Amino acid sequence: MIIRSVIFGVLACLSLVPAGFAQDNRHLLDSKESLYNNIYVYEDPPYRSMTFGHNKRIYTESMYNTGDDRDLPVDYTRYMTATLMYAKDVHAILEIGFGGGRTAWYLHRFLPKVPVTSVELDPAVLDLAKKYFGIKEEPNFQVVNRDGRLFLSESKDKYDIILIDAYRGPFVPFHLLTKEFYQIVKDHLADGGVVAQNVEPSTMLFDSAVKTIASVFPELDFYRADGNIVTVAYDGPTRNAEDLAATARERDTAFGLRYGLQDMLAQRRRIQIDGGKVIDANAKVLTDDFAPVETLKTIERHNRKLP
Amino acid sequence: MTEVSRALLFSIYLCAFVVGGVLMGFEMLGSRYLFPYFGGGIGTWASLISTVLCALAIGYFAASAIADRLRTPRTIALAILIAAAYLAFVPLSADPVMSGILDRLGDGPSAVLLASTALLLAPLSLLGTFSPIAVAILTRSAAEAGRVSGLVYGVSTIGNVVGTLFTTFTLIPTIGSRSITYVFAVVLACCAGILFLPSGKRIS
Repeated sequence: MIIRSVIFGVLACLSLVPAGFAQDNRHLLDSKESLYNNIYVYEDPPYRSMTFGHNKRIYTESMYNTGDDRDLPVDYTRYMTATLMYAKDVHAILEIGFGGGRTAWYLHRFLPKVPVTSVELDPAVLDLAKKYFGIKEEPNFQVVNRDGRLFLSESKDKYDIILIDAYRGPFVPFHLLTKEFYQIVKDHLADGGVVAQNVEPSTMLFDSAVKTIASVFPELDFYRADGNIVTVAYDGPTRNAEDLAATARERDTAFGLRYGLQDMLAQRRRIQIDGGKVIDANAKVLTDDFAPVETLKTIERHNRKLP
Repeated sequence: MTEVSRALLFSIYLCAFVVGGVLMGFEMLGSRYLFPYFGGGIGTWASLISTVLCALAIGYFAASAIADRLRTPRTIALAILIAAAYLAFVPLSADPVMSGILDRLGDGPSAVLLASTALLLAPLSLLGTFSPIAVAILTRSAAEAGRVSGLVYGVSTIGNVVGTLFTTFTLIPTIGSRSITYVFAVVLACCAGILFLPSGKRIS
């Protein structure tokens, strides 16, 4: 799983000194050139981070507290678990984009009876996660090495919660951000199921992503985390704040969650998607036919306030 | 010894450029057709690239077999026209074909190769015949062979470069993959039309 926050210090350093100097207090544990990424694992006790290098920028994909495997040091990964107060039942959870596996492992630790499946494209990412990020093979915890969309298209299973966090450094594979993809996701949601997507809100890709998700799921809530936004989408009757609060209270107690759902609920935001005030009226729904994700990624958002 | 008219010379080089552009443009488009079904892995790219190179090899060998007898603008015009027709069918047939392959063969290397073969091999093999036959048309003496083939392949390769970049950075962000495919089909049909024109006859 991927943290969208570019380390801005590195950016600043680019013009002055080599990027490597920004990593002073971090010790490089391992690095691997995989089929898809240049992966670096750094240690800065007690934390370990998995980063992908792209054009001298370092994109942190995952952060692990070696002393505490239930810690979610990265803000947005906590909000991915807000889905727990939306789902009607919690019998099966799927994650697309495993990375260092922190979110999936957190859910597995607090909900040991619920099968958690995570899909990851890059086999080297899985190897490093097992080697350095405390990921073990355990009952009810399964990691699959596969393209996320392929996995879903071929799967007959349904899930109550689907978490989507598939990034390759700064990029999102286009086939994981189209209307057709979200339709496949919807087909794999159990009754009352919910999907969360981690999106980076600084470019026009955000507007198109939101419109695309909204084209398949009528209900869309937003959670703002440090530099990222987590969207929670679902079909069926609207969950208002009271319903969510009741479920949050119940599940906070039932699962003994470290990051309380009730606290997260306070951060819930709704966005007026139509009307062009927040989301650009000209932003297009992405489809398998038309999905210029790389281009949208280069256009900065201007003057449109996020919640 | 025959002369090649200026008009024919111009249309052949123009078509070498355009056909080269469509050829690589369609390879880039191939990724947009395949990724939703077979994933965005390196295996999909390897299949696309090897299929394109196979198609070129087939095109070159086929051209080599017929170039002595059929070195006329009509031959390449016909090849381009058939390729154009094939492309025109791709937007509507791609989805059933891709999902059929995925259902029957899964997503392993053989399935991705078959899918890229179904998508690319026939039209790009036809386009691959262009350069060798164009060289055969334009070459009138052995002494010219190097100059002519260098020019034809140079122009066609510049077309490849422009096609790759223009498709990736302009067409894909502007119009959908299916529309781009139709544009390519029309462009190829125009090339065929130019080569079929009366001026496309050899003047003796």
